[in-house]
Amino acid sequence: MYPDPIAPMEPRESQYGVEPQYVQKRAAQLKGMTSIALRDLIPDFPPIIYPNNEGEGIVRENTEAALSGIDFSKIKPGHTVNILASHHGFTLLGGKPYAEMLRTIKDVVERETQAKEVRLRAGLGMRFRETEEYIKAHGLDEYFKGKALGIAPIDAGIPIETKLGTLYGLRKAYDADVIIHAHNSDVREVHFHRHVDRAVKPFGMSYARCETRSTYHMNLGPRAANFVARSIFDSDFVQSKYGFSVFMIMSPVGVVSVDADNDLYALSERVAVGGLKYYGKIINLLGGIDEAIVVLDFPCPVPYVFAAGVIYANMVCANLDTFDLDNPLPPYTWYTETFYDDHGQRLIPEIPPVNPAIKMVVHNYAWTGYPATFFAEQTPTIMVGREQAEHFNRDPMNLNYMKHAVLAEDLNGAMEFAYNTTKTDKVIIFDGATGGVNVSPSLADHLKKVAPALNEKVDTTLMPKWLEQRNLNVELLENVA
Amino acid sequence: MKVVSVQPEVNMELCQGCKTCQMVCPVFAIKVQKIDKKIHVDIDYQKCVGCWNCEQRCPDHAIEMVPCEPFELRADISQFDYSEIESLCRKAHFHPKQVVCYCTASRAEELAAAVLGGAKSPDAVVRATGIGAGCGIECNQSIMRFLGAAGIQYERPKQSWQWYGQTATAWDISPEIKENNPVFRFDEDRQLLDRIVDASVEPEPLDRR
Repeated sequence: MYPDPIAPMEPRESQYGVEPQYVQKRAAQLKGMTSIALRDLIPDFPPIIYPNNEGEGIVRENTEAALSGIDFSKIKPGHTVNILASHHGFTLLGGKPYAEMLRTIKDVVERETQAKEVRLRAGLGMRFRETEEYIKAHGLDEYFKGKALGIAPIDAGIPIETKLGTLYGLRKAYDADVIIHAHNSDVREVHFHRHVDRAVKPFGMSYARCETRSTYHMNLGPRAANFVARSIFDSDFVQSKYGFSVFMIMSPVGVVSVDADNDLYALSERVAVGGLKYYGKIINLLGGIDEAIVVLDFPCPVPYVFAAGVIYANMVCANLDTFDLDNPLPPYTWYTETFYDDHGQRLIPEIPPVNPAIKMVVHNYAWTGYPATFFAEQTPTIMVGREQAEHFNRDPMNLNYMKHAVLAEDLNGAMEFAYNTTKTDKVIIFDGATGGVNVSPSLADHLKKVAPALNEKVDTTLMPKWLEQRNLNVELLENVA
Repeated sequence: MKVVSVQPEVNMELCQGCKTCQMVCPVFAIKVQKIDKKIHVDIDYQKCVGCWNCEQRCPDHAIEMVPCEPFELRADISQFDYSEIESLCRKAHFHPKQVVCYCTASRAEELAAAVLGGAKSPDAVVRATGIGAGCGIECNQSIMRFLGAAGIQYERPKQSWQWYGQTATAWDISPEIKENNPVFRFDEDRQLLDRIVDASVEPEPLDRR
């Protein structure tokens, strides 16, 4: 007996996706789909505080508790304070827990200090109005009394002198006396950050100008790039403004806790160990899938749609251990993408291919606003619905996506084509199902079969290597739930 | 290569004349002025590359992108001796066939052709190739690295946000940084990038000719 699928995340009204009315059928509604609880696959996931039956109050309690250990003395009476946030947090579990953490930080800072003004400055990826949409959806503009703002990498910059030379931050991120770094620990883009200085990364990305972000993705190399964020954070300029950090601690099954520290590097070590522990196994398990049809069905751009608490890009790279720093190049990064010539040939032989277990991608619902052509070039892709195809054709970042994808009128037709051509009945649905993953029965059986051995491999072989490569003490494992 | 198929249209009833569109336009196609207390927005459609920056950053939602007669932006590499193109690419530490803009899938050879063809500043490169007219973020340093490799000096636009400056590359990291931060594997990554830069340019496969 297979359980019913878990309710997927609802389509969201956004200029980056088709109108929800065009998402006519969700993949979880396909006949025969089932779900599998993540804890049935990986029993040692930690207890979580969210989702729960009581709402976001527990997030507030945890944030208050975490902030009780913070030294607020840098914030003087009359100071202005910028709470620096990122769009990522709003994509987690519908965004409510992250929004509540941000509200709580504001309330506590106002209560504990005589700051003149506490503002929200929310960075973003490549969709320049995305955080505005979240700010509005969660009522943060009213909560911050009109002082909540989305900041984009093409906005006014400010030069920052660093060990790497001059880099550039966003003026609006730093236009306060004190900044508070408010982020989350979701592993997410491990293909980019490689879980090195994970908690520091937004200083080189969400709060940075395009020059800095381009330095990260084009100039230094796939692992060395992570020094960009560290060099900005360590700069005299940022240190003169930095107050403390607050992180929503995530696991693939939900929010674990809220952590805060004046020392970002101490927090980053805890985030790193927790990330390896919580996410190492699930990403490694995705690598144990031998073949599958992937359905994209979540309100985010292609690489960021969620299944099993992780993003599609993690599945694309799951044929290689991306946590292993001895592997220079994951199958997908923006470095990797540039290393294929105009005939699709790799410039050097050691470029790893994208996960060959992904036999076909059915693009039922995913957003524009991220250059995603690489994914359609590398894996056979079926776009569902003409409206969505047209939406991609209009996007300046995806003008070539549909040149590599075929079009199906509806989801049923797309799946039929995928089954017939791939000859597999294993299906994984990236639809944001919480606590489990929606799959076909055949893939549920396969995952249950391979999980124990893969979990043991992480515990006994991979984890010690991952920790050693990052100079992380194994004893830190005891301190995470 | 980029096909431009949309261009901006300003709703003057919503426009407050803040000049944000002017500041973020990568090709200086927009000029906002107040004349006799009235706001004027002039858009040079010959320059516009349909990047959406103005629409995306307008705080008053006064700009809409509307369809236009499609046209291509592409630098023609056949106008140059390929050895010149290859030489400039390698000097900028790129392989000629390497992608330099994810949104347009443009290759380094095209960026080199734009610079060899006379582009003397980032906005001129954007106009010549369409590179930088997608996300407007990630190719920023590719453009500057090519201009730098060609020895071209250009000023940062005053009171504007189009570009700020060229930044460090893998070939600029000091021994001290490398020694003190081994986890970032600077030398190994540089060796990887060098292998890419030094890779030969393969002839077109027979079945694609």
